[in-house]
Order: sequence, then structure tokens, then C-alpha cells
Amino acid sequence: MAMHLLSEHFRNDHSFFRIDARVKLVFALALLAMVLSYKGFFFPLLVLFCSIACCVYIKVPARAFFLRFAEPLFIAAVIVLLKLFFSGNDVLFSISLPTSHFSLITLTGYSDGLKEGLLIACRILGAVSVLTLLGLSTPFTELIAGLAWLRFPKGFIEVLMFAYRYIFLLFEDAMVIYNSQKNRLGYASVKQGLSSFGTLAGSLTLKAFENSQNTALAMTQRGYDGSMPMLKHKPFNPPEVVVSFFLICVMGVLWQI
Amino acid sequence: MKYYKSAVGSQQSGGEKEVFPVFLFTICGAFFLASDAHAMHISEGILPLNWALLWSLVAIPFVAWGLYELKKLSADDPSFKPLVGLMTAVVFIISCMPIPVPTAGTCSHPCGTGIAGILVGPAISILITAVALFIQALFLAHGGLSTWGADIVSMGVMGSFAGFFTFKTLRVFRVNMAVSAFMAGLLADWATYLTTSVELASGIKGDSAFMPLFWKIAIAFVPTQLPLGILEGAMTAGMVTLLYKKRPDLLVKMRVLKPEEVAI
Repeated sequence: MAMHLLSEHFRNDHSFFRIDARVKLVFALALLAMVLSYKGFFFPLLVLFCSIACCVYIKVPARAFFLRFAEPLFIAAVIVLLKLFFSGNDVLFSISLPTSHFSLITLTGYSDGLKEGLLIACRILGAVSVLTLLGLSTPFTELIAGLAWLRFPKGFIEVLMFAYRYIFLLFEDAMVIYNSQKNRLGYASVKQGLSSFGTLAGSLTLKAFENSQNTALAMTQRGYDGSMPMLKHKPFNPPEVVVSFFLICVMGVLWQI
Repeated sequence: MKYYKSAVGSQQSGGEKEVFPVFLFTICGAFFLASDAHAMHISEGILPLNWALLWSLVAIPFVAWGLYELKKLSADDPSFKPLVGLMTAVVFIISCMPIPVPTAGTCSHPCGTGIAGILVGPAISILITAVALFIQALFLAHGGLSTWGADIVSMGVMGSFAGFFTFKTLRVFRVNMAVSAFMAGLLADWATYLTTSVELASGIKGDSAFMPLFWKIAIAFVPTQLPLGILEGAMTAGMVTLLYKKRPDLLVKMRVLKPEEVAI
């Protein structure tokens, strides 16, 4: 399921994993801004190609990579179709469909609409590839430390840490409940499925309430005073900073083309 | 319907002939959805930089309100922060679970913001959604960093407010709790879906007019989103009913119910 797509399930002995998360975060954000503000096909496709090459280099399983792209690809396809048939002025093709109710229906595709749609689709794929590479090459705890360095609010980061910790625990509980419901034909029909799903979600909420009390008690006994300690940053590694700055400059030049 | 026809007609001339392509597109949309539907999230890269920044600016005050409430409530109760973290994990897991959508012949995923709005109020629910969306964007490619603000506004702000106010209003009129929860889940889902359509249409319209594109997007997602809203309503009702039966004290603690309502 979706949980297996999280970066912790992949190998972490590659060189990308060792790069400072702050450097990767800033680099990814700069690249994202460039992809979003670019008006053509070249740059997003270049970013997509580079990201795929990096994912191959760090040996990301192909299934995991394509699963991450499933939703963005679907949305990109819908947008291309929307723009092709409902936006633009230059007629690309016209299909006449005879039906029983209408004498003749004409479905018209527009070339400028198609171009706009493909531009958006390229932007989606380029931007998603940046995020995919960042997510797959950065340990979550380091990413959180990177966010703290970027001055994300402390409350947000603390909730993020709690949530990430408990996603795996609650997910295991959810799978146990789900499998036992499934074995008892709890999802045999839509009505039963809904009832079972409501019970599952309610049980998870109950567990969340109970676990929060126990967690708070255990943490208080260990000196928790309402704020969580953050991972201490190592000093920046100058070669990493210089190389990433150089790469941002190179991408910036290519972005101008 | 009249408005819809005029909106479609304004794009091109052709009257009733133009209704058919939209209908055909809707059917095609349903066919495409046969893989898996995550229509609530706006994917990374869809919005141009200016629209992404605008929606982020809209989302910031709401998230700040959530953080303020979190700070205030966790000062009184040290278990509140872990509770919010755990509720975030629950919303994340719920939104990863497949539920069947009969009309599209596929599975889709609930938002979970309606139930979060009912249980912890809109401010904390917005924060929970923001955190859950962040994890989903980074690790599952559902949504994105540039579309984070837009997703927070549609799922967090609109979903949470719709769920919270629907539930509270219906309870004021002494409507049955399961029915109130059902309506809250339903309207939270549909509010999210409509806001997502507005965000998508404004982001991708280019030189075209906004309203015709908005209606086309809204209609294209009807096959999944309308039944999904009903399913999410049923799920929300099931959750609230279970909590009411098993742990009514928790619902009182979260100020969902008054103590006298439990005693009755």
C-alpha cells in the first residue's frame, strides 16, 4: 500500500542520502520555482529527465517511481483533454458522431488548446519529479530539521514529528482491523464496506485518543515540557554548497533559454 | 442548468451540440478514473507560480490560527499536542484507504477533514490537514509543495468549516447525531470538490474565460465526487456513531457533545 512508498523503505546507502538536507531542500525549491515559472516545454522535460536519471542512479524501484507518478499522470491527462476540446480557436481536428438523439454531433479539438494542455502536463511532470527525488533521497528526520532551519513554525514541526511517528503504528493497527473485517466479508457489498470502513476509522480515532494520553504521560515522565528537541545541524559542507550553487546557476541559465 | 448551458455556449456557438462533448468528456473522465482517484489533491505543477503564491497567502492566516489554537490548548493540556499528531496520522491513513465508488466502478479516497472539523474544531482541523498534506506531498506525490496552499484552502479550510458548521447547525436544531455527521461529511467533501474546481479553473484557464472552464471541470469530476461525498458522509456518520457508543466521554471532552446530551 501507500506506506511502502515512503523513503524509509528504500536503500539509503547512496551518496544522495548523505548530502545535507538543507542543501537539497533549497535546491529543490529553487528548481520548483524555475519549473513553475517557465513558459515552454524544454526546461520541465529537462528536469524530468535529470530526476529520472538520479532515481535510476539511487536504484529506486521502478514500481515505486511509477506509482508516485500515477496520480499526476492521470491529472495531466485530464487537463490535456480539457484544454484540447474546450479551449482555443485554431481547429486541429473535427470528428462527427451520429447519434440517435442528435442529427450530427461534432467533437472539435483545438491545436492551441492542445499546446496549452501539453505545457501544463510538462510542468506537472517536471515539478513532481523534483519532489519525488527529494522525498526518495532524504531521511524524514533530516528533512524536518531542514524545515526547522528554514524557520517553519515549531508547533507545525512538532505535530509533523508526532504524526510521522504514529502513521506507521496506526497503519499496522488499521491493517489488522482491515484484514479481519475483510476475512469476515466486511467489504462484500458497498453497504457492508461503508459500515466496516466507518468502524475502522472510528476505532483508529479511539486508539489515537488513548495513545495520546499514554504518550503524553510517558513523555512527561521522561522530562517532556511541551516542546520537542530538534535534530542538531552539522556545519554546512562547503563543497556541497558550492556544487549546489553552481548547479542552480547552470539550471538558471538553461531556464533563460 | 440554464446557467450551465449559457456558460458552455459562451465558449463557442452551437447550442445543444455543445452539451454532448461535455457529456462525452464526463464519461471519458469516469473511464480514466477507473484506475484510482485522488481528485481532491491538486497535483504539483498544475498551478502557475503566481496562482500557487496567491493560494499560499490565503492559506497562511488559517494555518497561523491553527498554530495559535494549538499553543493555547497545549499549554492547558500537555496531551493535546500528541493528540493532534495522532489525529493527523488518522486523517493521513483514512485518506490513503480505498473505498468503493459504484458509479465510477473504482475505488476512491475520503478526505477525513469533515470528521476532523467535527472532533477538534476548524482551527486545529486546518492544521491537521496542512500537516497531512505536507507528508502526502513529499512522500506519496499526492498534492505538492507549490499547490500546498491551494490544497490547504480546499481541503483544510473549506472542508473543515463546512463539516464543523453543518454539524453544529444541525445539532442546534436537534437533528439526530448520525444524520448531522452524515451531512457534515457530505458537505465537507462537496465543498472541497467545488473549491478544487475553482482553483483548477483559475490556474489552468490561460486566456479562456473562467466560468465555462469551471463548469466543465466540475462536471468532469461529477461521476466520482458526488457519490464519494455520500460515501464520506456515511463514513463520518459511522465514525461518530461508534465514538458515541464506545466513548461518549471523549465527545464531551472534545466539546462535540454537551454533558447532558450524553446523560440522556
